[in-house]
Amino acid sequence: MEALVQASQDALSLLFSGDKELWEIVGISFQVSLLALIIAIPPALLLAFALAYGQFVGRRFLIALFSTMLSVPTVVIGLTLYVLLSRQGPLGEWRLLFTQTAMMLGQITLAFPMLVSIGHSALQAADRRAWETARTLGASRLRALLTVTYEVRFGLLAAVLASFGRIISEVGASMMLGGNILHHTRNIPTAIALETSKGEFAQGIALGLVLLVMALALNVLLHHFQGKGYVGS
Amino acid sequence: MKLKTLFSALCLVSLSFVQSSAFALEKPKNSVIKMSTTTSTENSGLLKFLLPKFEEKTGYSVQVIAVGSGKALKMGEDGDVDVVLSHAPAAEKEFVEKGFGDKRYPVMYNDFVVLGPEADPAGIKELKSTAESFAKIAETKSPFISRGDDSGTHKKELKIWETAKIKPEGEWYREAGDGMEKVIQMSGELNAYTLADRGTWLAVMNKSPLKILHEGDKELFNPYGIMAVSQKRYPDINHDGAQALIDWMVSEEGQAAIASFKVNDMVLFTPNADKADASAKETPAKVQ
Amino acid sequence: MTKLQFQGISKYFQDRHLLQEISLPVWQGHCTLLTGANGAGKTTLLRILAGFERPDTFEVQTSLGLLNWRQYKKTLSSRVLYLHQQPYMFEGSVWANLDYALPRHLSKLERAERIEEALTWAVLEALANAKAKNLSGGEYQRVALARAWLRKPQILLLDEPTSNMDQEARLRTVHLLGQLRSEGMALVVASHDPDYFSSLVTDHLHLNQGQLLPVPLHAKRDNGNVTTLRQSL
Repeated sequence: MEALVQASQDALSLLFSGDKELWEIVGISFQVSLLALIIAIPPALLLAFALAYGQFVGRRFLIALFSTMLSVPTVVIGLTLYVLLSRQGPLGEWRLLFTQTAMMLGQITLAFPMLVSIGHSALQAADRRAWETARTLGASRLRALLTVTYEVRFGLLAAVLASFGRIISEVGASMMLGGNILHHTRNIPTAIALETSKGEFAQGIALGLVLLVMALALNVLLHHFQGKGYVGS
Repeated sequence: MKLKTLFSALCLVSLSFVQSSAFALEKPKNSVIKMSTTTSTENSGLLKFLLPKFEEKTGYSVQVIAVGSGKALKMGEDGDVDVVLSHAPAAEKEFVEKGFGDKRYPVMYNDFVVLGPEADPAGIKELKSTAESFAKIAETKSPFISRGDDSGTHKKELKIWETAKIKPEGEWYREAGDGMEKVIQMSGELNAYTLADRGTWLAVMNKSPLKILHEGDKELFNPYGIMAVSQKRYPDINHDGAQALIDWMVSEEGQAAIASFKVNDMVLFTPNADKADASAKETPAKVQ
Repeated sequence: MTKLQFQGISKYFQDRHLLQEISLPVWQGHCTLLTGANGAGKTTLLRILAGFERPDTFEVQTSLGLLNWRQYKKTLSSRVLYLHQQPYMFEGSVWANLDYALPRHLSKLERAERIEEALTWAVLEALANAKAKNLSGGEYQRVALARAWLRKPQILLLDEPTSNMDQEARLRTVHLLGQLRSEGMALVVASHDPDYFSSLVTDHLHLNQGQLLPVPLHAKRDNGNVTTLRQSL
């Protein structure tokens, strides 16, 4: 217990003394995960939309596929991409292994099914009349899509937040694809893994705190937007 | 309308980022060296101490991927890194023989120590040979934690069991599949024996209840070697950078730096580069 | 457009031949009343005309010649407006909902003018800034009609426009529909209680067993209720 208190105190002083290395790691984490999310959102939204509103062969299969992909361990996704991106792999020519781009690819792969899956549920729950009303009032397909997106924005925002939470705290794929290189591909989760293995609990806890505070802030923000947050609103 | 603009702006930003990092790929051929190495060199703080000196002098920047020796060599075999620094002499020899690397340069050594609970339930403190100590541990079925991760340390441990003519198995023998620090931690928690490299041990000894119960046997000698990944196999590898790093590591300056690296006021690594080897090759190349 | 002649519209639901080779003329300035039992296919027919549901066979004779379903959807469905039984209101104010129906290219000033006119037309001035989703059923319908008035489609399709409304709201709706008709729109109204629309209706068709049959006007009108309705308007 004493050790934990001590480590937490050290963690706080590390955070507030503006430890450069620590904040650099935080910066890399956010940069990679935010970009991964931004890249993943538009295609995921379109696909979720197609799944919710389109009628095509394989639609049900795709829905099942993306739900399944949610439970694939991140290490497996990391390993698959590692094999693809390794020099010996089919995409080895790109020389992407152990770069931030590789980490981003991993996180996009992780975020995508979640965005599609939760996004699809949100859009499915949307009133079909929203789409039809938009269309009958002369909206283009894109505009109607954006309108419906806006109508179910809270559900979609939840999808985005859940996905962000998944990728920013994910260690397996980032470790394999980024290689945990200092100043380059060391992000919060891989740094926590490393510091913990070295017995440097203060660093680990400090980084954990950053994640925790961020998760809290995001959720408070979401609830703020959602307003009342109880049934009957 | 606003949303549309936002969308396209975001797409542009993300695209330009992907491109910029794709362009960054062009650079490693010149100034970025990727090195896979064992956790002991990274986590002891040695590389953090050494590499800035090298980087400042030559303008290269070295990206370190710290894993077990087995995986570090595999990354070299696959051409995913430019240079490998590891401590698994037999595997390194094979690495060079198979043509994955040009030549193994000895850099330095430290040694392994056998750690265990202060009470020493197996009673190995007085024994002179490592194999004997291991045999005693097995005999008394005292808990022993193995790295179990195909690292240099793991390979060394298996070799000692072999010398002792014991096949370690049973409730008392546990494979962790984890890094050295973690295994020392676990051994401390579980009152178990383990084999550790001295560098890592010195770095974490203040946090561990374990003690060195056996050391100094010749068998525990732990040499580090560095190898550039073969350019014949992977033409676009940063071979010049790798060779520059090697040349610096085995140079007088690099060797002196290794000797001056201390943790808890103790020297961790003893430089042992064969000077003849280095000078036979060529003088350190610099980045223009 | 002075006349569209829909013909050969068929629709199957599983084994059921819901609509059998239906022909339906739509004249500018006419109001066609569509009656039929629950489940007779009134809504399906309207949704086919709106372009929301795909018929099994379909063609339409227009000034552009004979069009199939795909061509109809492409060229004409933008001139058709469908009102749901429960109109859908987008997130935002009544003003924003009306704005949605205006063509994109109008200037801010033009939009404001048109919206003001629409608010006056549908007696919604007081509600301009109210949240559209919070309106009552009658107000919903008026906003929906005001959107139609702004959009000025050639054909207005209405599915049970007066269900769940009190007497006053019904009278208002009929009154507004009369104005739209006199502006030259073709109205197609599906309704259970045809009597409310007797002042508007120029053609009456009855859907039964997949067949659409003309009903002579005034045939069923026998009570004084209609006259009082007329007088009140």
